[in-house]
Amino acid sequence: MNKLISKITAVVTLSFIFLFGLLTFLGSKKEYSVDENRHLEGLHEISAEEMYDGSTSRQLEKYMADHFWGRSRWMIAKAAMQTELSESIVNGVYVSSERLLTADPGYTEAGNVSSDADIINSFSKEYDGMVYFAAVPTSAGIYGDIIPSHYVRKTESQRITELYDMFGNDIRRIDTYNILKMLKDSYIYYRNDTKWTVYGAYCVYKTVIQKLGFQPTSYDKFNIEHVTNEFRGNLYNRTLSKRPQADIMDIFYYPDGAGIVSCSCILEDGSVAEGSIYNRDMLKTGDMYSMYLGKPVPVMKIRTSAKNDMKLLVVRDSFADCFIPFLTQHYSEITVISPLEMEGDISDYINVGEYGQTLFLFGIDSLGGEADPVSKFGELYFS
Amino acid sequence: MVYSSLLFIYGFLPASLLIYHLTPVKFREAVLLMLSMVFCGMTSLYFFIFISVYSLINYSFANIIEKLHKNEKLAAVPLAAGIIIDLTAAFAFRTEYFSWLHRILKAPESFYPVGIAFFTLSAVGTLIDVYKGKIRPGKHIIRFLLYIMFFPRLIMGPLLRYGVFTKILDNRRESFTATGVGMTVFIKGLAKKVIAADNLYMLFAAAHADNEGSISAATAWLGITAYVFCLYFTLSGFADMGTGIAYCFGLKFPQSFNYPLLSTRIRYFASRWHSQFVQWIRRYVTKPLYSICPRKWMREIIFVFGWALFCFWYTVSLNGIICGALMGIVLIIENHLLNNKIMNFTGMVYTFLVVVVCAVFLSGSSPSASLRYLLAMIGGNGVFVDSQALYLFKSYIVLLLVSMYASTDLFRNLMMRSHRNKVKTVIVIVSPVVLMALLLICTSLISYNGSSEMLLMKL
Repeated sequence: MNKLISKITAVVTLSFIFLFGLLTFLGSKKEYSVDENRHLEGLHEISAEEMYDGSTSRQLEKYMADHFWGRSRWMIAKAAMQTELSESIVNGVYVSSERLLTADPGYTEAGNVSSDADIINSFSKEYDGMVYFAAVPTSAGIYGDIIPSHYVRKTESQRITELYDMFGNDIRRIDTYNILKMLKDSYIYYRNDTKWTVYGAYCVYKTVIQKLGFQPTSYDKFNIEHVTNEFRGNLYNRTLSKRPQADIMDIFYYPDGAGIVSCSCILEDGSVAEGSIYNRDMLKTGDMYSMYLGKPVPVMKIRTSAKNDMKLLVVRDSFADCFIPFLTQHYSEITVISPLEMEGDISDYINVGEYGQTLFLFGIDSLGGEADPVSKFGELYFS
Repeated sequence: MVYSSLLFIYGFLPASLLIYHLTPVKFREAVLLMLSMVFCGMTSLYFFIFISVYSLINYSFANIIEKLHKNEKLAAVPLAAGIIIDLTAAFAFRTEYFSWLHRILKAPESFYPVGIAFFTLSAVGTLIDVYKGKIRPGKHIIRFLLYIMFFPRLIMGPLLRYGVFTKILDNRRESFTATGVGMTVFIKGLAKKVIAADNLYMLFAAAHADNEGSISAATAWLGITAYVFCLYFTLSGFADMGTGIAYCFGLKFPQSFNYPLLSTRIRYFASRWHSQFVQWIRRYVTKPLYSICPRKWMREIIFVFGWALFCFWYTVSLNGIICGALMGIVLIIENHLLNNKIMNFTGMVYTFLVVVVCAVFLSGSSPSASLRYLLAMIGGNGVFVDSQALYLFKSYIVLLLVSMYASTDLFRNLMMRSHRNKVKTVIVIVSPVVLMALLLICTSLISYNGSSEMLLMKL
């Protein structure tokens, strides 16, 4: 009896393992995962050096995990089980029926922002125009109080203050944290993404634009279009958990305001292409958020029919994407640069001196981290 | 590469089973060595070179000792040299004082030879046995290399003596039934690691997120309980996975853990916890010392020293020594005092308390931090229960209870006592289904990262 059962066990488990092993190795490989909105690990050329220090085997493990047959389904099952087994933390994201939130444990050291402050200070000294800086909290910074205390990102507002305190007096700081914190009961952050909604961006715009020297466009002058109610953002991509409702993406139109005259992009290879403020084709992909401004490009030049000769330079990360359209009402030319997409020297792309105002707009989570847009900007500008 | 990774379970394991079983019987030991070499090479090429050179050095020393064995004093020279080299290698990678040696050896940054804590002991034990004339590796270079490098033994696998290992190789019996038993043990170990240990580690980390000077007593208790179970499930999980894989190749390894937690006496705990390792210390360290120390009190000191060494080998720190010494002292006290029968439940509580106190030292970063943690456990921070403790309790209580049950021998006893009744039949029949379910759960839990690499301590 026991022998028979052992044999059955061997047949069942081994055939499953062989089947999934074969399916994984022989199955068709995707380069990009729609569910996770990211490029999957490819097979690299094997070099002796990488074999020597073990990076080849790490790549191979990652490759195996990324292309494991039915990966998305396994991940969905994981999200469902993990919340039952332990806390509601799945792959570093807090899962609740209300919203998903980043829950990097408070005990991991957050990156240091002082080098970023140095870069902005030295930039401001060399630059003739005015420098504005907006560091935006992520959803975890605003709604952190629903995460268990040992995961709370107590540092997000502290980090913004810390950064602002290190800035010189000539830099205009924008206190996004307190504006957003006051409005936390409104729909200012996506439930499935770390970023703010267009409405959240609008609330900050009202303050920013006054600092930049204009009167904000009032809310009732906009026509609001719900372009989709099926948006699931970067936190969904990490967990594939559908516990919170999907999000709504809006476009704010101002029919009586200035229109877009042209929108041209400089791509990584230096070629110029036509861009757009809203790229609805992206709604059909896994990267819906790129509907705002399209996929990130090194430089995007937006010319508007605003009747002045004001020029603004915006140094951005993804938080700026839904914010830029509000600025188009006030400037005849806005240039948006993404340091992380650029290579070489910034003067190869644009002449910074042409712009009277420069606005830095970043999520606080990307500062001091591995892919830090400010330190990249420093490399590009001071090289 | 660890056993609990997709690449291992769905790539390396089936491929190696296939290659092994397609090879003619007389070449199978060589194939096992080749597979083990590939396994080491898949960790990194440097690790492969390191462990190959390490094994060859030990093999050479073993041969020299064997040649000189008629002259004991002369043979002691290569024995001492071999042991010094082995221990230096272990300390070089397990402590931070040898970065100069890393540069000389051209080790890649943050390189750690997985399993060095155990294969060092294997190598040292073998050299001593050769010196005593108990074994003769002689011309069996394949077996010797396999002994050090055998991949199911490499990561926290059972610590076997060379003599026992060769006997197991001699009695190798591949069969479909053995493969089934092997897969059962492997999946059991995988579940211990991925389902229990990894989640308990989250609880341990959550409780240790705050300074030990501010946590509540309840949080401290939850944290340390999680640590004890996490340690048990990590070590025994890896040991089970290794044993299971070896079974699939027809090799019957003994078990290292025999349900030690929730024992009714500390001495039962001590004899069931990591038994191969405890035996190693007894055979090569404490027993030879006993023979030169006739007095009882001296023997008791040696006994405590043996335990201190045992726990020191886990952490390579002062905390480990304290933990082990505590365990040793309690064992002696128990031998003196506790001859009368006590109730099982009382015994269990007392054993668990001792284990918990030892674990506070084993898990702590320094003796003072551990003392502060102990103070927090008795409410020294002035808070007994707080919202964090309640939250953690609510989130983990099911997992903790299930882990507790799984760490006892209750289920095994149920199976043994219920001869030929219906319950047993039903359990046996559904076991393949349960195992499949466990495999599915483990696969999905490691699907995001591709592996579960939390090892709790570097061994």
